[in-house]
Amino acid sequence: MPKNIYKQTGFSSVLIQKAGANKTKVNKAWFYRPSTYLRGALPHKKTAAFLMMTAAALSMPGTSALYAQSSAEEKTEQGDVSVTIYNGGQALIRDERQIALPKGITRIPFPDVSAQIRPETVTLNGQNFDILEQNFDFDLLSPGALMAKAVGQDVTLLRTNPATGAQTRERAKILAVNGGVVMQIGSRIEVLRDDGLPVRVIFDRIPPNLRAKPTLSVTVDSNQAGTRPLSLSYLSNGLGWRADYVALFDEGKGAIDVQGWITLTNNTGTTFSNANTLLVAGEVATLQQQARRNRNRSRNRNQQIRGNNPGTQSADRERLGDFYIYPLEKRTTIANAQQKQVSFLDVAGAPAARGYQYTNGWRYENKDEAESVETILKFSTSREGGLGDALPGGVIRVYQRDARGNAQFTGESRIDHTPGGSDLAIATGEAFDIKVQPIVVDRSRITSGEFETSYRYRITKDDGSSETVKVDRAVTYYRTQMQYKVTNASNKAVTVDLAQTGLANYWGDTRVPSESIPGTQRNDNTRVWQVPVPANGETVVNVTFDTRY
Amino acid sequence: MRIRLVVAGLLAPAAIAAQEARPVQPPATITSSGPDAVEVSIYRGASDTENGQFYLDELEGFALISETRTITLPAGPATIRFEGVASGIEPASALVKGIGIDEKNQDANLLSQRGLLDHFTGQQVTIKRTDPETGKVTEEAATIRSGSDRLLIQTAAGYEAVACTGLSQTLVFDRAPENLSAKPTLSVAVPDQPGGTYTITLTYLAANFDWAANYVAELNDDGTRADILGWLTMASADATSFVDARANAVAGEVYREDSDADDSLYAQGFAPIRYNCWPAGTTGRFTGYRYLRRRYALYAPPPPPPPSIAFASREAAADEGVIIVTGSRRAQQEALGDLKLYRIPFPTTIASNSQKQVAFLQKRGVKGEIVYVFEVTNGGAANHIERIFRMQNDKKNGLGEPLPSGSFAFFQSALGARQLVGEDNMRDKAVGEELELELGGANNVTASIDYGDKEGKNWEEFVLTISNANPNPVTIESEFFDEDDLQYKRFNKRTFKRNGATVWRITVPANDAVELKYRAYDIDEE
Repeated sequence: MPKNIYKQTGFSSVLIQKAGANKTKVNKAWFYRPSTYLRGALPHKKTAAFLMMTAAALSMPGTSALYAQSSAEEKTEQGDVSVTIYNGGQALIRDERQIALPKGITRIPFPDVSAQIRPETVTLNGQNFDILEQNFDFDLLSPGALMAKAVGQDVTLLRTNPATGAQTRERAKILAVNGGVVMQIGSRIEVLRDDGLPVRVIFDRIPPNLRAKPTLSVTVDSNQAGTRPLSLSYLSNGLGWRADYVALFDEGKGAIDVQGWITLTNNTGTTFSNANTLLVAGEVATLQQQARRNRNRSRNRNQQIRGNNPGTQSADRERLGDFYIYPLEKRTTIANAQQKQVSFLDVAGAPAARGYQYTNGWRYENKDEAESVETILKFSTSREGGLGDALPGGVIRVYQRDARGNAQFTGESRIDHTPGGSDLAIATGEAFDIKVQPIVVDRSRITSGEFETSYRYRITKDDGSSETVKVDRAVTYYRTQMQYKVTNASNKAVTVDLAQTGLANYWGDTRVPSESIPGTQRNDNTRVWQVPVPANGETVVNVTFDTRY
Repeated sequence: MRIRLVVAGLLAPAAIAAQEARPVQPPATITSSGPDAVEVSIYRGASDTENGQFYLDELEGFALISETRTITLPAGPATIRFEGVASGIEPASALVKGIGIDEKNQDANLLSQRGLLDHFTGQQVTIKRTDPETGKVTEEAATIRSGSDRLLIQTAAGYEAVACTGLSQTLVFDRAPENLSAKPTLSVAVPDQPGGTYTITLTYLAANFDWAANYVAELNDDGTRADILGWLTMASADATSFVDARANAVAGEVYREDSDADDSLYAQGFAPIRYNCWPAGTTGRFTGYRYLRRRYALYAPPPPPPPSIAFASREAAADEGVIIVTGSRRAQQEALGDLKLYRIPFPTTIASNSQKQVAFLQKRGVKGEIVYVFEVTNGGAANHIERIFRMQNDKKNGLGEPLPSGSFAFFQSALGARQLVGEDNMRDKAVGEELELELGGANNVTASIDYGDKEGKNWEEFVLTISNANPNPVTIESEFFDEDDLQYKRFNKRTFKRNGATVWRITVPANDAVELKYRAYDIDEE
């Protein structure tokens, strides 16, 4: 097929069907849509091609030296691996291996488990055996471990004379390894390398329970001999995922194109080969996660942003309890030290709007200089006017086109797991041209004519009668006249969502006797004004606060 | 071995069946060695200060890099490896345009000491020992039996730890593994496609870039006008050079999120190996648990030939910084959403570990004035008097351009030579804003505050005296900010309100003094 035709059509027929089925249309894709990958997102694709591929690689040794070599290098003892990955670096791994068991008690080693396995979570399933015990050998093969295990045994010392290069060979018995290696050579006792001279220590063998890789072993009592599937299941750290979003915002059209990518990261030290992979979006409670969640909460700047409202629409995704699950359509190899991204969301032309917010802190104080307002991108995850899907937590990177039509980065923001139907308002940066300067114009003490009861007590007289005494005190108020100078040096009229917080401080008794534009009380601590600012102009908002301090 | 046999046995018939259907090949791996064209937009880090300075070894900004690459693919599924991307690439931000892709992968398998050892674990290598005295080299076959940090080999003699002997010995490998890359490499999996030549755009964010704005202002003799030249200094601490790039700088605050800890994948590939040995305490001294690494080096294959482009060093780049400020050579400003983008109008090379300067603003005869500013707070402690240069950022006064935050340096002629008269930092200033830049403290203009003659129940009178020891008149503005419990009233000269402060602006004649009387009221006492 001529290449230009392919480039025009862009994708396989599967994708074209998808674009047709989806109500939104890509006018001019700035990035190409990824092909089908996630189940549920797109129609199923046959996995036969992948199997054939794998089979070919294994069954055609010698066709390609590179391939033959790499398959030998990546040999693994893993069986049929399924991986369920949770947010926050936690995964459930199921590994079904075909293992031949003799009748009676046997110790079965399971090499190639995750090096970050949580051994207390291991379960082994299979038929016709009982588990006696499970061991996880952390004792990795290392010089130190090898030496410690050699206590009481003989090793060969090969000394090299640094002057002559002459070699002498002798046998030594390791007596102890306590901060130094104490050896017996013939009838003498010596500390290894105490003289600082080079010496090679040659061990005769490696003890069987020292392993090159972390290895799980299970001792079972099998009531019959034979090969059977054994299913090993455990939790591991070091395997996590998050979502990464790319949003191209067209300010003129008021629309965004959003692509969502699932980013898998494997730091376990182990490669999971040809794994059936499932991703769970949500904070499954785990011990480590508590701390992480608190950290995430504290660093999410969008919690300060007005306009985020959780929605009530269910996404068209498979579920696990309260969580959405995202199965990968194809089996995939998650290599160690690898970051892998696959697409799960692709929406074009969803409505979006620009907003501006400024929040002044609790204290009524002058700012020396005007401060830029925050730039907000508003959109929805609803089916009717939005992305039409739940969004797993992750970072949204926002791009806009420059004058030449190239997409440029304009900031990013982290979102929490967001249900369908939610309104999102994310802060991506600050507006260069739109600023607010809060000014204290005047501050004075006023008498409100209000009184509060400060004491009440009862006096009982000698004759038995009693009297209640009340002491009232005048309430003092302070009146602060604030001025918010909102300036706009851009050539478009904007509306700034201006807020004063801190109204609930101290007695919480804050009143607003006058304001130049009507505000709304968002909560007892925050009052908000929608300030229209003309292009290349300014709007001054005057507000008077009466407070008790 | 058993497992592999089983797999081969099971899948071989399937493979044959598949081969009958159509020829099956493993996905081809195609390497794209570098971009044909590249655009680099440099952003400043969120924590950037306004001081217009940075250090190449700790650049806090980042860049959006957009590379155009041409690649020819055979038909069928393929893996494309993009070489020559920035070393600071944030892989999660990568976007590929021009071809449909299945997945993006970023491997930290670097051709490094660690990468080699990890790769050859379980395989045969050669151990080479050199006699330090005679220089005689002996070689022996060995098999690596343990991971890189716990290096153990097996030789014909038995098992031994390589790094714990104190001998001059090293491991030699017979080849550099194909799947270890010399540089961080992004790869994408492309699904079945008909083959052909594709033009692909690869866009990603990368750390280790920054830029700063520096303004040079030449004041005229009486300090009423300034010629302003704005410089944009771009810096890259990346290992990759971008030749003949379209370069932009983006001004304005752009939010970035903290990267997750798992983004440190790369650190693993780069981390040096720490050899763990057996307990090494000697009777002579305590050396801890770990032997120092002694004369143990890995012979990696020779590095790939240097790229054909000129590798500009930091010094060379500095030499290139010829001041050219004709309009066509100046960076052009445009709006990018709520940010400002400065486009360098000619192709430029952003060399690794270099910085370069381009002018972005030139304004002659901008109107301004030198004013002394004095802030009265808390009853009247005599505060520091600042000498500032004040400008209005509008067309009427000869400016009227967005001014990205940066440093201002003021020069003025004295004794027939150009002298530095002050330096200050400035935040982002939009058109229409006022600029106040500090030139320095005042020496010959002084202020003192004394009690006046009068006193009331809840007020006291003060007298502010401003003296000018200069042989020329100066303009001074005294600003009175009300306190929580204190208000300044009853000024005996004309004042005005500005930004919440009461301002007394007066010109003090040469070698003269002026006086202002005012009252401070305690608002808590009625």
